[in-house]
Amino acid sequence: MSNVAVSVDHVSKSFRMYSERNDSLKSTVMRRKKSVHEDFWALKDISFEVPQGKTFGLIGRNGSGKSTLLKCLAKILWPESGSITANGKQASLLEVGSGFHPELTGRENVFLNGSILGMTRKEVTRKFDEIVSFSGVGHFIDQPVKNYSSGMYVRLGFSVAIAVTPDILVVDEVLSVGDATFQKRCRTKFAEMKGEGRTVILVSHSMNTVKEMCDEVAWLDSGELQTIGPAQEVIDAYQLTV
Amino acid sequence: MTYMTDLVSSRELLANLTAREVKGKYRRTVFGQLWSLINPLATMLIYTIVYSFIFKARLEVGDPSGLHFYPLWLMCGLLPWIFFRSVLNAGMSSIVANGSLIKKVYFPRMNLPLATVGAHGFTWMIEMAFLVVVLACFGSFIWPWIPVVAFFMVMLAAFATGLALMLAIVNVHFRDMQHLIGIALQMWMYLTPIIYPLTLVQNAADKANKPWILHLYKLNPMERFSTVFRNLMYDNRWPHWSDSLACILLAAVSLALGYFVFSRNEKKLAELL
Repeated sequence: MSNVAVSVDHVSKSFRMYSERNDSLKSTVMRRKKSVHEDFWALKDISFEVPQGKTFGLIGRNGSGKSTLLKCLAKILWPESGSITANGKQASLLEVGSGFHPELTGRENVFLNGSILGMTRKEVTRKFDEIVSFSGVGHFIDQPVKNYSSGMYVRLGFSVAIAVTPDILVVDEVLSVGDATFQKRCRTKFAEMKGEGRTVILVSHSMNTVKEMCDEVAWLDSGELQTIGPAQEVIDAYQLTV
Repeated sequence: MTYMTDLVSSRELLANLTAREVKGKYRRTVFGQLWSLINPLATMLIYTIVYSFIFKARLEVGDPSGLHFYPLWLMCGLLPWIFFRSVLNAGMSSIVANGSLIKKVYFPRMNLPLATVGAHGFTWMIEMAFLVVVLACFGSFIWPWIPVVAFFMVMLAAFATGLALMLAIVNVHFRDMQHLIGIALQMWMYLTPIIYPLTLVQNAADKANKPWILHLYKLNPMERFSTVFRNLMYDNRWPHWSDSLACILLAAVSLALGYFVFSRNEKKLAELL
């Protein structure tokens, strides 16, 4: 086994489900009571390791905790217990074009979004042409993004994110953006990243995508880790339950 | 202090977010950035007409500058106040307004309120520069005081930032805070000697023979700041050491407290939004 890129160690995450919640000052003052809530455990004691240079998939039904785990990996949510250690620069792509300002031009947004994703100005300047050509936005780059078609918008967002070239990339169901040509380009890009020894962790409901791209797969069910192993085996096991 | 290093390493993001606020604000407007000057000018006109012409508010004479002009006297206190109010309003709602971003990407969240401070600070700097030029035209010998004014501008920014950071966290828990603060700020402005001079309160307290009124009134932090700015810009003299010290202490305490509260609560934000 090669080096470990990400190790997830006994991670549990709960959400509070409020039956009575004090979310305004009025209710806090008037009721003079604490909020009443129940804990909902979205992740229960999950442990696994993602080897470096592999593409790792997370599968499972809706509400099984895949996205919560992904958000924990992306440092957006913090687990109640357990820890996640990543070796290397990490970037996450949970939604494309988040942080785009509609009134600003594509060019300005590339720089803004690039820095939100952790790139320096120098890096963005260097990769700018590559980003624009990958997105296929062309001369629309100097138009405000609010005038973009939805396809152009997500393509530009995706191109910025992909240019971050992290050691570890965390991706949510975003590979379905763009038309067939763009998707093909994305797949080539992911293959390229894998060739460079980068680790990709992705969530997808499309078993074909997972089968095609992933080396290893973890199957989550109601917050618990069911099986983990080579892609084909886990997917077959999962599909038996569907 | 790992949070600090995280924050420092994302300073480029802060610059970009600030630029987003500044550029995005007046996009698609005919006058663009000029609006940031037109707004305070309009406010100045209103207060001048109401208080100077209708209410005949007593005019303060700049000592030793000898200035004798209500609009200028007003602006020396009003511009810092407008900045303070904008930072509190925008800073406290910055987290809720950028909820979609917080739920999707990780970056030190403090950048969001800090960017609003940067953007409003930028506007304020233009306004103050403009005011300095006008003051000079009216015969105020302001040039040597500019570094001191700049120092106290930083102090006020730090004071406002600290409050905004705390309010931003509170606002995530209780969304009605925004409306409450809106009202509180309105009252606060009239409790501060901005459109009327402090001597008015002093005289009233003396006449009623109740000196505690003045002491109570002077507990207001913004009273200190507006006095300092007026001393420096309108009167052209050193502010009283106690006022200066109060401003510096207020800035330090507020910023430290705001930083502490915000960094302690930052991790829970994505869940609460």
